[in-house]
Amino acid sequence: MEPILNVKNITKAFSGVRVLKNVSLTVNRGEIHCLVGENGCGKSTLVKCVSGVYTPDEGEIVLNGQRFTKLTTQQAIQNGVQVIYQDMSLFRHMSVAENIAIEKIRAKGARLINWKDVAGIAAEQTRKINVKIDLEKEIFECPIAIRQLTAICRALAHDAKILVMDEPTTALTKNEVSQLLTIVQELKSQGMSIIFISHKLDEVFSVADVITVIRNGEKIGDYNRAEINEKRLSELMTGREIDYPRYRRDFTENTPLLEVKGLSRKGHFNDISFTLRKGDIVGMIGLLGSGRSEIAMSLFGLNPIDSGEIFVSGEKVSIAAPQDAKRRGIALLPEDRFREGLFTDLKIKENVSSTVIDEISPRGCLDFSEEDRLAEKCIETFKVRAPSRETVVRSLSGGNQQKIVIGKWVETKPNIFIMDSPTVGIDIGSKAEIYEQIHNFAKNGMAFLLISDEVEEILANCNRVLILEKGRIKTILEAQDLRQPDAKKLILEEIGSRDLQPDTEPSTK
Amino acid sequence: MKFTIDRYQKILIFIIAAYCAFVGFVNPAFFSITTVFDIIRTSSTSLIFAIGLLVVMISGGIDVSFMAIALFGSYTTINIMIAYGIDNLAFAVGLSIIFGAVLGLINASLINWLKLPPFIITLGTQNLFHGIMTTFVSDKSFGAGVLPPCLNQFGRATLFQIQTGSGTIGLSASILPVVFVALATWGLINFTMIGRGIVAVGNDEESARRIGFSPARIRYYVYVWSGILAGLTGIVYVAQINALYPNKLIGGELPIVAAVVIGGAKITGGDGKVFGAILGVLLIYLLNSTLILIGLSSSWNDLFIGSVLVASIATSSYQERIRNRKNLIFTD
Amino acid sequence: MTNSLKKKFFNDINFTILIGLLIAAIVLSAIFLPGGMFSAANIKSMAFQIPEFGFLALAMMLSNLIGGIDLSIISAANTIAIFTAFVLNGTWLPALPEEARIPAGLVVAILTALIFGVFNGLLISKTSAPSLIASLGTMILFQGIGMALTGGVSIGNIAFEFTDFGKAEWAGIPLIFWLFLGAAILLALLLEKTAFGRKFYLYGENKVAARFSGINNEKVCIATFVMTALLAGIAGLIVLSRVNSAKVGYGSSYLLQTIIVCVIGGISPNGGKGRVRGVFIAIVLMQLMSSAFTMLSLSPYTKKLIWGVVLILVLSLNHWIRNLNDSIKKEK
Repeated sequence: MEPILNVKNITKAFSGVRVLKNVSLTVNRGEIHCLVGENGCGKSTLVKCVSGVYTPDEGEIVLNGQRFTKLTTQQAIQNGVQVIYQDMSLFRHMSVAENIAIEKIRAKGARLINWKDVAGIAAEQTRKINVKIDLEKEIFECPIAIRQLTAICRALAHDAKILVMDEPTTALTKNEVSQLLTIVQELKSQGMSIIFISHKLDEVFSVADVITVIRNGEKIGDYNRAEINEKRLSELMTGREIDYPRYRRDFTENTPLLEVKGLSRKGHFNDISFTLRKGDIVGMIGLLGSGRSEIAMSLFGLNPIDSGEIFVSGEKVSIAAPQDAKRRGIALLPEDRFREGLFTDLKIKENVSSTVIDEISPRGCLDFSEEDRLAEKCIETFKVRAPSRETVVRSLSGGNQQKIVIGKWVETKPNIFIMDSPTVGIDIGSKAEIYEQIHNFAKNGMAFLLISDEVEEILANCNRVLILEKGRIKTILEAQDLRQPDAKKLILEEIGSRDLQPDTEPSTK
Repeated sequence: MKFTIDRYQKILIFIIAAYCAFVGFVNPAFFSITTVFDIIRTSSTSLIFAIGLLVVMISGGIDVSFMAIALFGSYTTINIMIAYGIDNLAFAVGLSIIFGAVLGLINASLINWLKLPPFIITLGTQNLFHGIMTTFVSDKSFGAGVLPPCLNQFGRATLFQIQTGSGTIGLSASILPVVFVALATWGLINFTMIGRGIVAVGNDEESARRIGFSPARIRYYVYVWSGILAGLTGIVYVAQINALYPNKLIGGELPIVAAVVIGGAKITGGDGKVFGAILGVLLIYLLNSTLILIGLSSSWNDLFIGSVLVASIATSSYQERIRNRKNLIFTD
Repeated sequence: MTNSLKKKFFNDINFTILIGLLIAAIVLSAIFLPGGMFSAANIKSMAFQIPEFGFLALAMMLSNLIGGIDLSIISAANTIAIFTAFVLNGTWLPALPEEARIPAGLVVAILTALIFGVFNGLLISKTSAPSLIASLGTMILFQGIGMALTGGVSIGNIAFEFTDFGKAEWAGIPLIFWLFLGAAILLALLLEKTAFGRKFYLYGENKVAARFSGINNEKVCIATFVMTALLAGIAGLIVLSRVNSAKVGYGSSYLLQTIIVCVIGGISPNGGKGRVRGVFIAIVLMQLMSSAFTMLSLSPYTKKLIWGVVLILVLSLNHWIRNLNDSIKKEK
């Protein structure tokens, strides 16, 4: 086999934190190479190095036999590297057709743009993946799934030799996913190399030739699909047999803290009803677009509902803004902690106090010593590793940053804590500490609504799980269901990402 | 890409038509070929400015130095022409455009280097350019007598003339540069890779970089183009008023910004149409020049323009916000 | 330098530089303008001139601190002054007894400022319109109101008691300077010591994170623009009191200067960073320069050149310091 891409001993650090440590990778021609690892393990950084977006601090990249220490995006593209990024990198005010075709036309060195070519290229690519899209629509008018398809078409349009797909299936329906995987196989048979990044192991097993596991910025190893099974792989990804302590609710008091009845918002979710009791950790899981984050935002006053009722401690409330939610004892840990959760250029103490400014300001004047005290308490409770409360949050690691976000909400003494993907991009140590804290708070009566992509996370923390599909609650699993040995399989099946069976069953059991 | 008229432009056309109908109803003298030719002549400089600014705004930037560039280019050029006795329109346009391009290059370099809001930087260069010109070139005014005659010839030139009841009226040749600039810019935006790069950078710099556009280089194109158009407009302007002052134009930037915004360009970038900008200028121009015809004093201009501008900003921003919120995107 | 000392120096570098600049300016003007700059008469005249500009600069500072810009402050100041002048000279409310005119005028001024501020705040917070473009709209609108009311002529003939205020002194220092000093101190306390001030800074730093922290962004935004309009209104009243009349278009050159003062004073145009004390020193610095220019009888054009150069220089210097700062952090 002939290698087309050779990544040699790459190291990359951001503000002192090493996200990639001495990673090497070899991809052969006509090979489907899966890159697996937990969220935030460095997969995406590695991809950005290969595509020239980041320049590695150390190491080199050999593409088509050419060595690069400072690969530019241009050079990467010229050498046939195409990446479908998770954020899709589309242009809002351009048509679908142009989004598909522009990179190809640009790379040809064309000075002019011929709109017939654009339409032709776009039509050809959509035919390849056998979907019908309105090519004239501008992207900002298109739903996420169409955008995802557009991004895929764009990468295909380019005569890629190496196609990198960074979690390409998150927003696709089952049919679209199997279509995509068929296409991937076809491209392989045409001699293209594909780097497929996913944390959905079923997809990985259904397409991979070789699987590379990355953990905490380090490469754990390369494995042929035939020599490894799902269980072993997930152990390799997480670094140990999953043994987070499981949460068990032991309250007998069942009056609901939060009760949601028939919540609907057009295009987001429909007829959502559930309750959170004292000490409940209720998980919410489903594909992107299933309505999970949308529901969380609605409960926090950031996504107005069309109909339905919300009761907090038995009292009917209307939550029109986050400050209403805060007053009712509802906290939200948002999905995007950089943009939504933190003031990254400010100090720890200023972040911690940001939710309780009025509470620490008797007669409107800030009590600075109280602010310091809160910051110290937060650092201590959550074992935040930081030089001092004066440290600027940007310089902390992901795990410590997330502890600050949790800490700032704990200061409001919430009864109901909604967490949207709390451990994305966080190292294992911090993850365990965060789980431990969640369990402690739950044991003291706080109720959690935990949104997650990771089944393991749900199993370790939740005593009830809501599985969403297309904006509706499809299934509810209770504590006893979750304690079954096949709970993980059950959840995956219900989410709907499990219908893709690998064509050769790896040896299990 | 075919030339299309989008919904927003239809609304603008409707407003302009309705307003014209109203003015014509109150004052039938409004409906005449004279009015049309007059509007074309007097709005021509604003139109070129607006088209130059539009390109900057599509790229996600803003420029408030274009008037200073126009003045710098035309004033310096004509001073040179007077000093050396040159009387050649092509020379005037050519040199003024070169000045414009160089000043545009300075703008782009500063924005690329300092990475600060282009409004603040171009506000600085506006004063810088004007100050350099008045300090190091000259700060004298020149009357019609000393200006190179070619300018006035162009300023008074007409493409053809029409006999009306009150005499002959001609279509000013100033429409030529406007048509040329409009077509060239439309072509640039819609049919060249640079143009698509400008749209791409305005939409999302990072994504544009990923597919191989260089935002810094795109900004050079954008501000240089805007500078070139400003240089050209400076000459057209002087030709029209047939006099050269060191302090004209400056201070008239913001109404042009207003016109382009009313024309549908997004200050956040990535969206904006040449035809929209033209409609925006026309609407502002109509409000500016026709209030007298409906019996209001011209003191009411700003009130009307301000109201239209605020209404247009409010509706378009609000729509964008609703759409973003629906997708759980928060910008503020 | 030891590391910690270095850090301390760079933490406050902006203020350190400002103090340095101030001392340099004082020394330079003492050397080159002996007797002129620091004569009692000139110091007093500077103290009379600082407030009208100073209040506008504080207003600009507030809008910069929330990551925006308020272009409408000067037209708001003028229109508020016009409203007040109409009350003071008896054009409006002619039935009012003479002695009630000043209180009534003040009430009208405050109400107008509130309305302008709330209007700006609502427009920006409820539609998510970028403040640059929204305040451009309201700038033209506010100016349009003043223009429609006055037709561009200055409104004078106001009560003597009111004009006396602008000339009054206390302890040998103009009353309006005391007023300005008091306002600056109050503002500094409000922004740095109160709950509102903290929310204001957080909002300026990251609006989305502020919203997700349960801060009422709309309230903070509206409050900011109300304060901006009130400060602008005070500036308008001071002008009215000092020059005996109000007029559309007064002080339009202040826009650039307020932005320069904020940049020099260490206010980040991206929001969230900067303090009142920096802007205060920058205002004094600006006045020293203005006075020096007057004494040297520089032409308005030369002044323009200098302001342009100063703005670009300061931006470059800030950029350089920031890079230096980053490289020091990296070393750590």
